Amino acid sequence: MLFSWNLIGLGLVYRIFKKKNLSFDDRFSMTMCMAITMISPLIIALHIELLLPGSLKALFLIPILLGLLIGWKFGSLIKAPALLTSIYNGTMGGIMGTMLGAVLQNPALCNIPIESEAMMTANMYSLAIFTTFLHTLVFILSQINGQ
Amino acid sequence: MDQITFLLFMYSDVCIVLGLYVYLLRIKKLIGFQLGMNISVVMGGMAALLFGVLLILQYPFHFTWITIISTLAGLVTGALFGRLFDYQSFVTGLTNGVIVGLMSPMIGTVLEMTSVFVWFVHIFFALCLLTILISIKRS
Repeated sequence: MLFSWNLIGLGLVYRIFKKKNLSFDDRFSMTMCMAITMISPLIIALHIELLLPGSLKALFLIPILLGLLIGWKFGSLIKAPALLTSIYNGTMGGIMGTMLGAVLQNPALCNIPIESEAMMTANMYSLAIFTTFLHTLVFILSQINGQ
Repeated sequence: MDQITFLLFMYSDVCIVLGLYVYLLRIKKLIGFQLGMNISVVMGGMAALLFGVLLILQYPFHFTWITIISTLAGLVTGALFGRLFDYQSFVTGLTNGVIVGLMSPMIGTVLEMTSVFVWFVHIFFALCLLTILISIKRS
């Protein structure tokens, strides 16, 4: 179920990406670029962190690299300053999403009182659904602006 | 610190943010889009940070709900302040409010000295407000 939410997010990313490829402006698309690359790597990193098993320690680099990749792809559409901004924001989003996912999986890291195992799973699902809602909201906004 | 102190802090923050909104609503013709974008980013982020930290210190057992509430607070504040000026500042303030709102309850849970941190955040908020007011006067 989480994976389907993740796929919906990724599909929206690529739809907007193709659409933005046709029409650029100067300042306009830089703002859009910043907004998209701030939100989407965070949420995709959070979903990946929740999906992957926690035992594989070597996989912690994947969300960060994915954030960098998304930032690069969006930024390379426009100009050099936008490329710099979006790479920076994408990497930051990847790191913060990884952190949030780690806290959600193991609440004792942050001194949060643990209720039970089922409560933690419910927390994970509700936050994932909520972040997907935010993701779609931002993409709808940018789609309105892109036309 | 007591629970009632956090409540008073939160109430005063809401009042300050509403007062600044009404003040900006009256003079929004005088402010350029660059300053407007910065104002929306700062106010969305500060509202989300204050709400997240104060609520998680007050009710430490409801992490998920507080994350959702502080994210919505940052979103709404950034969107309202950005809506005064421009579409782009609307989107930027909304995004920044969401990011800070998702992060701020995690800051609140790892705190050791809560009262020092709460005072520090409020002094930071007051400095941000002072900077915004000075730059409004200069523009």
